[in-house]
Amino acid sequence: MSVGEEGMKDWWSKNRKKGILLTGIALAAVLALVVFLRTEMVREQVFHLIFISKTMDPENGFWTSLIDGAELGAKEFGAEIQVAGETSEENIEGQIAKIRESIGKQPDAILVAPCDYAETSEVLQEVVDHGIRLILLDSVIDRDIAESTVSTDNYLAGQELGKYTRTLLKEEPVIGIVAHVKGTSTAMERENGIRDGLGTFEKEIREVVFCGSSYEKAYHLTVELLEKYPDMNVLIGTNEYSAVGAARAVRDLGLAGKVTMVGFDNSVEQIQLLEEGIFQAIIIQKPFNMGYLGVEQAIRSLTGKKVEKNVDSGCKLITKENLYEEENQRLLYPFSGQQ
Amino acid sequence: MVEQKETEKRLREEKKPESVFGKFKSIQSTMMVSFSLLMIVAVLIFLLIALSYTNGTIYENTINYTSQIIRQVNYDIDAYMDYMENISSVVAKSGDVARYLFEEEQTDTEYREERERILSQFQTIMESRGDIYNIAVVAENGKSIINGGEEELTEYIDIRTLAWYQEAMASTKGIAISSSHVQNAIKSCYKWVITLSRTLINNQNGEKEGIFFVDLNYSAISDLCNRNNIGNKGYVFILDEEGNVVYHPKQQLMYGGLLTENISEIMECDSDYLLTGEGRESKIYTLSKSEKTGWTVVGAVYSAELLKNNKQAQILYLLVAAGLLLGTLIVSNRLSRVITRPIRQLRDSMSTVEEGEFDKAGIAVTMQNEIGSLTRSFNVMIERIHLLVEQNRYEQEQKRKSELRALQAQINPHFLYNTLDSIIWMSEAGQNEEVVVMTSALARLFRQSISNDQEQVFVEQEIEYVRSYLTIQKMRYQDKLEYSLEVDPAIFHVMIVKFTLQPLVENAIYHGIKWKENKGNLTIRGYKDQGKAVLVVEDDGVGMDEETQKHIFEEKAEKKVEGRLSNGVGIFNVQKRLQLYYGPEYGISYQSKPGEGTRAVVKIPLPERLGGNV
Repeated sequence: MSVGEEGMKDWWSKNRKKGILLTGIALAAVLALVVFLRTEMVREQVFHLIFISKTMDPENGFWTSLIDGAELGAKEFGAEIQVAGETSEENIEGQIAKIRESIGKQPDAILVAPCDYAETSEVLQEVVDHGIRLILLDSVIDRDIAESTVSTDNYLAGQELGKYTRTLLKEEPVIGIVAHVKGTSTAMERENGIRDGLGTFEKEIREVVFCGSSYEKAYHLTVELLEKYPDMNVLIGTNEYSAVGAARAVRDLGLAGKVTMVGFDNSVEQIQLLEEGIFQAIIIQKPFNMGYLGVEQAIRSLTGKKVEKNVDSGCKLITKENLYEEENQRLLYPFSGQQ
Repeated sequence: MVEQKETEKRLREEKKPESVFGKFKSIQSTMMVSFSLLMIVAVLIFLLIALSYTNGTIYENTINYTSQIIRQVNYDIDAYMDYMENISSVVAKSGDVARYLFEEEQTDTEYREERERILSQFQTIMESRGDIYNIAVVAENGKSIINGGEEELTEYIDIRTLAWYQEAMASTKGIAISSSHVQNAIKSCYKWVITLSRTLINNQNGEKEGIFFVDLNYSAISDLCNRNNIGNKGYVFILDEEGNVVYHPKQQLMYGGLLTENISEIMECDSDYLLTGEGRESKIYTLSKSEKTGWTVVGAVYSAELLKNNKQAQILYLLVAAGLLLGTLIVSNRLSRVITRPIRQLRDSMSTVEEGEFDKAGIAVTMQNEIGSLTRSFNVMIERIHLLVEQNRYEQEQKRKSELRALQAQINPHFLYNTLDSIIWMSEAGQNEEVVVMTSALARLFRQSISNDQEQVFVEQEIEYVRSYLTIQKMRYQDKLEYSLEVDPAIFHVMIVKFTLQPLVENAIYHGIKWKENKGNLTIRGYKDQGKAVLVVEDDGVGMDEETQKHIFEEKAEKKVEGRLSNGVGIFNVQKRLQLYYGPEYGISYQSKPGEGTRAVVKIPLPERLGGNV
């Protein structure tokens, strides 16, 4: 009797032990598998991004380079990116419509280069309200709603250009500024920077005209400006359209070398104009980096990493003297698309 | 009794276990746990070795594999450059080029024809190769033919100041291969290229006075570098002698400063591979340097990616390890149970022996090992103990029987003498009837005392014995003694140790009633009480003082009482026998007060059928 009973007890306690062990091992195995699969899944998650450019103009070196950067960034971080935009920087309504359309596509993040400091704010607020991460590129708006802003520090760039221009000034300087789009943060900040860079010569600025980011308009405005102020000997262009348009006018009027010209951005034409000596200096932004870093910030935000509120993508002053330096060549000529 | 218990307690007390194994409740679990622990340790060691070995093998294989690929890429690039050099030598050695560039005394027609032929040669080359951006011959005297003839050299740069031009001029072979650069020499051309340049010699004076160059785009090199997969994320890039990037699949990111490679480490590295970076960014660089171009082809593989494949192996290892452990646990469980079964049997048998059951204790010897001999010894031992115990029991029994016999034989000779005296007196007085009664009572008494040698009798028989005894005593003491017997017939058939009551009655008479001035009453009652049978012998004699009561159960008690005669059968003996038979909760208890009387209560077990609790 007693032997049998004890045997039963033994059997029970042993089986319970075995059971616990078995369950433990099974649990551990399942846990390991789950962890493994989870990490796999996290890795395979693809984020959908939409980038709304200021312009889709294929001739514009700045924006094509920025789009390249964004696309390469997306590829690098394993995300999908769609690029949209109007053909003109002045089509604010068009951009607002594009943003609204993008919200409907429910992407994980929207990257926007806003065409206007105030007018796009409403729709960008909608983006944020829909739980979509917002990253601003190149320009800012009047509200602080973006996860991150990646841009050239336009004030500093303007200031650097202004300071350099000061070294080029002749006696009795008469300065004109051909700016791009009135009301954009970039135009305002660059102008302020230039004014501060010029220092005491700021008062020599006779007029600021806005070309609405059009080569033709810039050309005509420059011609008018030079007619209005025949003794004008310094011209500053605040973006590619303004600078190139003004330079073309100066070249066509045969004023090359007589009018000191500086400007923003680096299209092939601008580089040629610099080589020709029509431009004395250009300050170049790093649009490729801007696009890339914008995507990086979006991905960081989506994966819960630390996001920098403001990212300065940097700028560089290029003159005829340092044009051929290896480092500057790398910034001036995009490598992408050559492989 | 008490002493024996002490010994038992001492034996059962456990000493502190001397080793960890002593803490387990059974040998089986000791074995199982030790087996399992050993196996876990063994499996872990195996796992560590296997994993590190696999890691090592993976690294080694990767390095070998990428080294092969990198060498192949290097070889392909050299072959590619050889091919380009061949093209260049065809152009450079053509008479047309030499004449067009250096022959000054020629007609315009001759110039034009030479130019046409050179252009058509250029065109053929350009058409057959998609990887050539520019092809050109340039002389120091300003003459040049570029591509289709439309492009011209830029006026802002002197071609002779350019690095690739100077390199070719300085080279003994007259050939140079540039690193990546922007071709600034040609007007409105801002392409990133690799330039292969070759000096042209003016045959008239044997001087190097011109140059032929081809600008290669990256399509061919990129093809060569990307042709072979080295992992999903792995890639190949090329550095020149100064450590500048010639080609990188993410060259734009490199140029933008968004991506860096550990170039300084690569340039300083002497072996053909290099581990660099931390954590997820940890990479393995495999290097191969070309003698021809001076370039270093670098293959980069992410360690994390290698280890990702390794992860599957790790999981496999872990599963195998878990399976092994599980198997071991089950097997060790079975094994330990089988091994320890005889020990458990032995233990069970021993506890049976402990309870005194020797008959069931024997175990079959099933093993040839130590446990087998232990079992065998145990069997022999318990057999002998059993024998001894039986012998002891038999001897005890015999002893008790002889003791009883001695008791039986011990009927007080005084009593006999007195009774016989009484009979004589009575017969002298002619009291024949009384003589008959007394004599017959005496005869009955003797018959009853020797009638059987059973140790226990029915209460009824014991009462009859006492009745005979009292009949005699009543006749002797006449008016001095009055007695009554009130026994519940229900307990008549309860067993009681022989000669329990008579000594008590005798004591009551001799030590109680005898010393009383007047008549004494003796009452004997029997009844059931609380599951026990109770017999009470009560007298109203002189009683006992406390001192006497205290010593009543001592062996020589009666003898100490001065002036009292003892019949030799002490209360001590009665009590001892009762408790020996029925246990400590049974036996005699006394209540007494001097001058009022004494009550002796005997408790004996009541059989269950009569409502007893035994």
